[in-house]
Amino acid sequence: MSFELVVAILIATVPLLAIFPSLFALTTWLERKALARIQNRRGPNKVGVPCTRIGLFGLGQPAADGIKMLFKEDIVPKGADRLFHLLAPILALIPAMLVLCFLPLDFSFLAVWDESVAKDIKAVQGFALDGAVIFFFAITGINTLSVFMAGWASRNKYSLLGGMRAIAQMISYEIPLVLSAVVVVMMVGSLNAKEIADAQVGWNWFVFTPWGLAAFIIFFIAALAETNRSPFDLPEAESELIAGYFTEYSGFKFALFFLGEYISMFAISGLAAVLFLGGGEGPGVAGYPWLAVVWFLAKIFSLIFVMIWLRGTLPRLRVDQLMAFAWKFLLPLSILNILVAGFAHFIPQGNVVAKVAVWMVSLGILYAAAKGLNGLSRAEVKPREYKYAQ
Amino acid sequence: MVAPNYELIAQDGLETSLLEVSMGPHHPSTHGVFRMDVKLDGETVVDLKPVFGYLHRNHEKLAENMSYLANMPFTDRLDYFNSMTNNWAYALAAEGLVEIEVPERAEYLRVIMAELTRLVNHVSLVGFFVNDLGALGTPLMYAFREREKILDLFEEASGARMMCNYFRFGGLRCDVPAGWLDRAREVVDQFPEFLDEYEKLLCENEIILSRTQGIGTLSRELAINAGITGPMLRASGVAYDLRKVDAYGIYDRFQFRVPYGEVGDCYDRFMVRMLEMRESVQILRQALDGIPEGEIMGKAPRVFKPKPAEVYGRVEGPKGELGFYLIADGTPKPYRYRVRPPSLINLTVLRDMCLGQKIADAVVILGSIDIVLGEVDR
Amino acid sequence: MSFLGGGIFSGMAVTLRNFVGSYFDPDRLTTNDYSWRPEGQLPQSAGEYPREEGEQLSDTTTVTNYSRNFPMLLHDGGDNPMDAIRCVACQICERECPPQCIYIEKDYDENGKFIKRPAVFDIDISVCMGCQICVEVCPFDSIVMNSQFELSTPNRFDGLLLHRGDLLKSNDYYHRIHPEEAKARDQRMAVEKAAKEAKKKAAAEAAKKKAEEKARAEAEAKAQEETGDKEEEAQ
Repeated sequence: MSFELVVAILIATVPLLAIFPSLFALTTWLERKALARIQNRRGPNKVGVPCTRIGLFGLGQPAADGIKMLFKEDIVPKGADRLFHLLAPILALIPAMLVLCFLPLDFSFLAVWDESVAKDIKAVQGFALDGAVIFFFAITGINTLSVFMAGWASRNKYSLLGGMRAIAQMISYEIPLVLSAVVVVMMVGSLNAKEIADAQVGWNWFVFTPWGLAAFIIFFIAALAETNRSPFDLPEAESELIAGYFTEYSGFKFALFFLGEYISMFAISGLAAVLFLGGGEGPGVAGYPWLAVVWFLAKIFSLIFVMIWLRGTLPRLRVDQLMAFAWKFLLPLSILNILVAGFAHFIPQGNVVAKVAVWMVSLGILYAAAKGLNGLSRAEVKPREYKYAQ
Repeated sequence: MVAPNYELIAQDGLETSLLEVSMGPHHPSTHGVFRMDVKLDGETVVDLKPVFGYLHRNHEKLAENMSYLANMPFTDRLDYFNSMTNNWAYALAAEGLVEIEVPERAEYLRVIMAELTRLVNHVSLVGFFVNDLGALGTPLMYAFREREKILDLFEEASGARMMCNYFRFGGLRCDVPAGWLDRAREVVDQFPEFLDEYEKLLCENEIILSRTQGIGTLSRELAINAGITGPMLRASGVAYDLRKVDAYGIYDRFQFRVPYGEVGDCYDRFMVRMLEMRESVQILRQALDGIPEGEIMGKAPRVFKPKPAEVYGRVEGPKGELGFYLIADGTPKPYRYRVRPPSLINLTVLRDMCLGQKIADAVVILGSIDIVLGEVDR
Repeated sequence: MSFLGGGIFSGMAVTLRNFVGSYFDPDRLTTNDYSWRPEGQLPQSAGEYPREEGEQLSDTTTVTNYSRNFPMLLHDGGDNPMDAIRCVACQICERECPPQCIYIEKDYDENGKFIKRPAVFDIDISVCMGCQICVEVCPFDSIVMNSQFELSTPNRFDGLLLHRGDLLKSNDYYHRIHPEEAKARDQRMAVEKAAKEAKKKAAAEAAKKKAEEKARAEAEAKAQEETGDKEEEAQ
């Protein structure tokens, strides 16, 4: 292990550990302000510079919340399994942070003083693995284990039932998630995150193709369900009868659960940006390599903003409707998407007319399938007309 | 203890036990201190017992010890969202005991206040209903934006936002200040825009449709037999509105329609209330156009001491038929004072509507009945 | 919208409109910020609550000119408010108050004769519901509604019992907080006073006329008597 290698490893990993938790703090602030503005109110705007009256638009609020969480008493229910009670939030956080290294954020531009260090950095970065996407899905699967641990270790039958529901939700939505990523992998021919990002150079993003658009929408919906965000936030909601799996957690462990949830939100948005939105591509990247990091973070943040926007708009789905949506709608649709993608790829598209025709046919098939599946699985729900009496 | 409904439990080989849960007085979803003892088989509700009485304040007995006028502020606090309507029902009942002529301007203002109260109530209900569905308070905030404007109007007219104490026997306490009618007209003209925005947000939303249609169906026969009144009855298919049937006050002078639904599920109740708000806006426009100048207080006796008689005065409150039954015995205090609370009577069919539904729907059904605990418990 | 997921999209459009509009349109941002005063001081705390008459925290209050909170007694100005107090301790408001929150004791002078003012006038504001019935039944326009709401106190029992001194406010203060109502009330009082004066004058005139008539009648009677006497004498 030469000294340069150690420096390369540090430069590859430490910026991730520095950026993403501070982005987490920024995201909690952004979520509260954005939700408030949607609801015609202001959000936090008083907590700014400590001991003064300067409220920097409430940017001190995440710090204040963190300090409060640290000072809270750590209550473990009597008779609960202490080891697993402690282990569950940690296990919620570690996979989320681990998975961040598979995102194609190239920090080799930081090694401005030595070429060989830059080469070493490029070699140790995780997205250069040949199976990066597979590793991503494998490690996010550990989240379900932590949810189960949390539900079991609380010694509360309602937490256990809530945890079971959460696991069922997360497992069901992993399949459409993976299948919509499979489409992109099939098109590129490699699981390497860097190659997938490079295949979308310029404006050839996969989201602009019909099968890519469908896959992106399915991926996004499944991502909302994976991270337990609205409208799939059944495990977190209090107005459901059965409490969530982290009811018995207080203080810093609770904060760790939220940290894990938000960082997995970042990770999944990052993967969506890589797979569909070009991951780092944008105007000006050729000249300035550090712009790739900026564009990547911008794409992640726009996806996060859409997640917050959906949270403010939509009510919650009921458990059985949630499961029916995953198994009877998203799953057949994602399988069909793979077939359509193959069809669109292997039919020769010499001129523009053929290209447009192929695209329209693909879109038509996907839309008809979606409508058909919708009508098949759910009861007839539509707005009604009402009569009046005089 | 009521026996569970064994037909709903599938007894085929597996020995399972029922989960007994108490959705206790502290609700995450609102409506006040109200408890439901629910027996669950998996997710299905097998039995449900509502328990209330946590807000009982002894209103009816207290009224026997106070004069008729002194009871008026206490009627505000019955159904605390619609204080003006409660006042009107009581004033109607007491005016039935003595012969008092209510002047024209007072009648018009009474109708205006009652319809504004109807808007306030329906808007709060719709906001809280979608909040129960899980929409994290966004529609609630939009609804309360409109409610604030109307509460400001109430404050200017009567001095208080919610506990108005505005109606008197024979008219109103005082006239509205100068410019109030124009401000009211502005608020009423802005209201349909808000309703359009709300409908765009909610009424075609697939999630709301799939969560409220087919849930909590109340059949027409059961609604009539159980004495349900108000929007719940109209959603189940009976076009019965006291404003048309009794035509109390001057309601026979206004043109308005009465929407009614067919199926009687939660979606129907929600939509009937949205449509009723539009009709209320029509009535308000007509009333604001036609209001005359004049006195606002008729010739009331100096001391209110009615001769022995009994009377039942009722109005179409936003929640149902609100009635006051008074027995007078010649003294300045009533002998018997009884309130017919629409929320309580509408609540009696909660069990029938919830059996066989999922537990998550029980909260939604309770939200669609529109209860206020101040009225249920008095 | 009729396409799949259309309802959700139209909902999202409404939410976006509200989000963007909350930065530009005042109708879409309904927060009122009352926590800090314009000059940067916090509102006065309970211990420092001023007991001076007429003090109104006017720049952070949300009350309008129409709102009512708890009652207050009126006096018509001057150095000693108790000289110009309008209340005569008739105890009508005490009787009519629905929750019975007023306690009045009449004032007697050294000889035990009733002076027309209250010695004790207590309102328990933990009981008072602000229903305004005492204002309606008072025949002397001496109790009206105040709109002050910063009444918090650390003392749970005596702090919420307002005495006569706390309740006394001048008519000028009443004009400041409820201008329209105060003006209407003053006008009505002036009209009633004028009517009463006119009636008194008419009664005085009538009494004078009756006295004159009586005197004339007596004079006539006396004159008749004298003529009768004179006739008797003549006979």
